[in-house]
Order: sequence, then structure tokens, then C-alpha cells
Amino acid sequence: MKIYITGYGLISSIGMNADESLVSLKNHSTGIEDARLETMKGYKVGAIHATNEELKEKFDIKTNCSRTALLGIIAAKQAFNGHPLSNEIRTGLISGTSVGGMDVSEVEYKNYLDGENHNPDNYKHHSSGVSSEQMAAEIGATDFVNTISTACSSAANALMMGARMINNGLLDRVVVGGTDALTKFTISGFKSLMIFDEEWCRPFDESRKGLNLGEGAGYVVLESEKSISLSKQKPVAMLSGWSNASDSFHQTASSQDGHGAQLSMQEALNVAGLKPEDIDYINAHGTATPNNDLSESQAIKKIFKSRIPPFSSTKAYTGHTLAASGGIEAVFAILAIQNGYIYPNLNFRNAIEETGLIPQLKFSENNKVKHVLSNSFGFGGNNSTVIISAV
Amino acid sequence: MYYIHAIASITHQNSFRVDNIINELKPIEKDSDLISPDYKEFIPGAALRRLSPVLRIGLTTSIEVKNKVNKDFDAISVGTALGCLKDTEKFLTTFHTSTSDFLSPTAFIQSTHNTIGGQISLGLGNHAYNMTHTQNNLSFEVALIDAMMCVNEGKSNVLVGAADEHIPFLETLQPKLVSNQYPLSTGASFFAISGKKNNIGVKAVKTNFNSASTQEDLVNFLSEQNMTLNDVDVVLNSSDTVQIPSTCDSIDYLNFSGLHYSASAFALHIAHDYLIEKKKKTALIINDMCSGKTGFMLVQSDEA
Repeated sequence: MKIYITGYGLISSIGMNADESLVSLKNHSTGIEDARLETMKGYKVGAIHATNEELKEKFDIKTNCSRTALLGIIAAKQAFNGHPLSNEIRTGLISGTSVGGMDVSEVEYKNYLDGENHNPDNYKHHSSGVSSEQMAAEIGATDFVNTISTACSSAANALMMGARMINNGLLDRVVVGGTDALTKFTISGFKSLMIFDEEWCRPFDESRKGLNLGEGAGYVVLESEKSISLSKQKPVAMLSGWSNASDSFHQTASSQDGHGAQLSMQEALNVAGLKPEDIDYINAHGTATPNNDLSESQAIKKIFKSRIPPFSSTKAYTGHTLAASGGIEAVFAILAIQNGYIYPNLNFRNAIEETGLIPQLKFSENNKVKHVLSNSFGFGGNNSTVIISAV
Repeated sequence: MYYIHAIASITHQNSFRVDNIINELKPIEKDSDLISPDYKEFIPGAALRRLSPVLRIGLTTSIEVKNKVNKDFDAISVGTALGCLKDTEKFLTTFHTSTSDFLSPTAFIQSTHNTIGGQISLGLGNHAYNMTHTQNNLSFEVALIDAMMCVNEGKSNVLVGAADEHIPFLETLQPKLVSNQYPLSTGASFFAISGKKNNIGVKAVKTNFNSASTQEDLVNFLSEQNMTLNDVDVVLNSSDTVQIPSTCDSIDYLNFSGLHYSASAFALHIAHDYLIEKKKKTALIINDMCSGKTGFMLVQSDEA
């Protein structure tokens, strides 16, 4: 069964919608800079420079919610804009998030530790499931709600789950993607793992030291043939392949040869009925940690052999937006297909010695981009690949 | 039908490695403890020390299910409502109070919801599909829907289950955010399911996220299965919002599991063992722990 994509929306440090994001992508303009918020001082982050109140005002949102849910609502509303609600179209929302309402909880828990003004009511935002329920209610996609939480592969897994629910006849249309706000929890967490780069991150570069965190959300609308015949929406792309596999090597590190990554890329190609040479562009996971980029490079070499298509990581633009990354990058993939774009891998100078792979260096137009393969790998060895194709 | 081939539960009941748990069930008491097996049989000592309760019980029940079916899983689907609370709270406390530039990463690494699924894949050396679903009181139901799709797609041995843990901090949220009708608890139940015939299976699962009336949603769910409540032998429910016919047995499952939002996984274990013990045909699990969000699971015996 064909899975059509009929809408998309995103927000990140490089833009509050697709048009703004494309301007940044074309201009090699990163959203990563020295953190302005006191709680994040000393780090380079891809922050969205607007308070929750400013975002609510700008996007006309009334829901009392966490920043994670708010970013999700903004992107999901963009994606679902103009899509008619109908009792005949079973519509759901599947969202990936890793922190959920932690941006609220961590502040409240500090109050609790300090023994002052502790308001337990604020933990109602904590559960990741609540953020998805709020998003679903906001856009009216309440026939099914599901939250996937597999760390940095969450959004890609949400795309996969949505496609499978349509294929299994359980839904006709589903809004899928992911959202994560910057939190002190994740900043402190990645600091404890010592995989931050104090400078701008350098995916696939020999000198890479680690990642920069970012925040954002990205969602797409998936529809069945039956659904588009009723909704009259025009497909902008198709979700043609998907897969998830376990690296089963270490709780946080990837295996040297990227075994799980190979499994997920190969299976996604199988699902799409494509050969490696059919792929026109790879949007890599490319976090710029020493471990991920080596492992992913080895896996790409194994799957694509001597014919490696143009590839890049867009995380040097947005920062690593964790559970949102697969959603944001799915939107980038759609824009690449629609416009014939291939995005550059910022801050690259020298190839990784062991692999010698050189990513796309300049923003490129007028390419034939029919199939984009997008990787998302998470803690727990959770490896996911989606393939987005032209209609 | 999606047949159940093996089950393992670690709860506040005597539920682990018991042939049939029906005659073991006792109403849960306040301050009761999790009844833990000897985890060292399943997890090496050095690793065990680092693992929080939710990781221990999720991993141990999964290994036990694997040992029972003696076959690698070709998909793994895990539900958890609140994930790894103990490590989350530990890391929150650490970074809020530490003055050191160096924080131990262990609690952070183990705080993400899919640490349960990740540890299962590592513990079993499993490279298959591995998904973690979190959806408040319906976390197990959505994980089960995923597992059933895996069976539809040709997978032959799917591990599905749920795990959640209690931390004392949750009590500070009672009764405002967490009902205090039942004692808070910890629990994990995992199942091996496949399309291959066995005694008991899950016939259908449905979630409702915008429910105005549990009773109305239930009538619709049963009619989709060409059934009415009169065809049901036992109802396992989390509240008394649904009128149950006098001919039908009923089990208040939270009275045995205690309160955690993925407790309906243990209800499936109870339903399975009930149908075997009482030689009955049909069990219905009604999960409406959170208002407006209801889950139904229809469980049937092919034998009775």
C-alpha cells in the first residue's frame, strides 16, 4: 500500500516554518550559538529564541502545556493546516519525545529540593503521553494517540508506526513526528557523558569532538489512498521505506561496524523495494560524536559500497534535537525532493581517517532527488531508517 | 487470534514462576513490597547493581519468557507509562545539587524510557525491531497493538509487555495527580505472542482517546466482534463505570496489581490464568484508570 505525505511542519533554531528553514539551509546559516539562558550558559545550543508566551501569542495557542508540547503543537498544526476533519477518515497522532514535560518538572523539582513553593500540580505535564494527547486534541486527531520514546530515534519510529498502522488498516490518516525542548536535564546528561563539543559541532570531520544540543519539532501527515480521495489533499511525497533494528552492543555506544545501522538501512531499502543505487541523498544521523559518525560511516560504506550517494548531517544547522530530529529531518527530506536540493554538512574539513568519506560541502540546487534515506539512531542501540520518495 | 505462548510477571503478588496465579492473588496492602525472584539467576551481579527496579523486572520477566519459548524474538514491543522514574529522579537530584563539574552519567543513561527495551535487547543479544510506547494508562494497550501488527506482518515470536516502577516521591502527588484508592506499586508482565495456535489468545484490542462514555465505547467494541456483554464470562476492570451482567464474574484488577499506569498488562496475565483455571471462554479487560481514555482487551480460550 502507498503511504502518501500530504503535509509537513517544523520549528527549530533555523526557522519557525519550512520557508525560514530553507533560507537558513541555503545560506549555510546555523542556528547554533552560545546559550543565552542562564541555565544553559557555557554551551553552544540550537535554541529557539522565543519564550513560551511569545510562541503562544505568535501561533495563537491557548493550551497550558510544557515547551515540548508547545513546539509539537506548532509543528503539527503547520503540518495539518488545511486538512479537513471527517468521521470517515480515522485520524491519529503518533509523536516521539524523549523529555516530555521535563522542562516544567525540572523547575518544580528544584523547588521541591529547595523546600519552597512546591506545586505538585505542575507535574501533570511530565508524562510524555500527555504532550501527545494535548497535540492530538489541538488538531483534532484523536482516533488514536501514541507516544514513542526511543531516545533520538523516536520521531523516525513514529513515522514507521504511522505507516504500519495505515498498512494494517487501523488508521486512514496519521500525523507523525517528534518534539523535544531544551532542558537542563538533557544538557547536564550529555555533559555527564562528556560528548559535548564546546565549539560548533563538526559531523563526519576527523577532528569532531561531540554534539551541540538543539530543540524543535517536526511532523508530517501520512494518508492512505482512501484518505486522500476523501480529504482531497495533494501528496507532496511518499513514505516508501522504514525499519528499526537493535545494535545490541551497548546502552549508549554504537558498534564499530554499525551492525544495527546496517540492518536498519538494508531493511528500509527492502521495504521500499529499492536498491542502494536508487538513493539520491542520505540525511545521516551524524551527531558529530566520535563514536556515532565512525560507526554510521562504516555502515554506509557496507550498504552503499563504492557508490555512496551525496550525504550530510544537518545537525550542524539545528543542533541535535533528540527525539525531534527524525521529524525535522523528514521535513528536510521532503523539501529536498520537492526542490531538488541537497544540503551541506557544515564545519567539515577533513575526512575521518578510517573511512575517508567526504560529505556534501555546498548547498546544491537542480539535482534529481527522487529517494532520500534518513537515519536516526538512539540510546539503547535503537537504529531506525526511513526512506522518503517522490510521488 | 494472537496466541499467548508464555507469560512472566513480577508484581506485589506471588506471580513469578507460578503455574497459575489465580489462587495466589490477595488484595494488595498499603506498603506491601514487590515480590522479587533471585535476580542473580538472570542478570550478572555487576550489571545488576546498576539496574533500577523497573529495569530488573523488565529484563528478568523478558528473559524468563525467552527461556520458556526457547526461541529468539523477531520483534520486541514495550509499554511503560512513566519509564525509569528512579534514575530520572536520581539524575534530577544530582544535577540540581552537585557542585562538581563531573556528574556520573549512569542515572542519565538509564533514565530514558527505552532503557527497558534496550536492556532486553542487550540481555538477549537480540537485533530485532525494538519499540517503546508510552501513553499514560494505555501504554500496554498501544504496545500490544504494535505487537499484533508485527504478527500480521509475519513475525512469528513477538515479545510484548509493560513495566513501571513506584518511587516514594509519587506519594507527594497524591491524591491530586494520582488516585489514592489503591496503593501505588511496581510491576512488569511480559508475553510471547504469535499466530501459532495455543490455548489462549488476544482476540482484539481497542483504545479510545476521546471517550465520552466507557459503556458506549464498550458496546461498540463488542459489537465489532459480534458480541455483547452477555457473551463475556469475566470482566477485569479498573473502575465500576460499566454495568456488568449478574451472570458475569468480575475482577477489580488494581486490587491485586496496585496502581501503576501499565497495570493492565498484569490484568492480561490474570485473564489468561482465569480462563485456564475456570475452563471459561471469554475474558474482557476494561482499562479506564484515566477518565476519557479507555482501553479494551478481549481474551479468549480456544479450548473451552
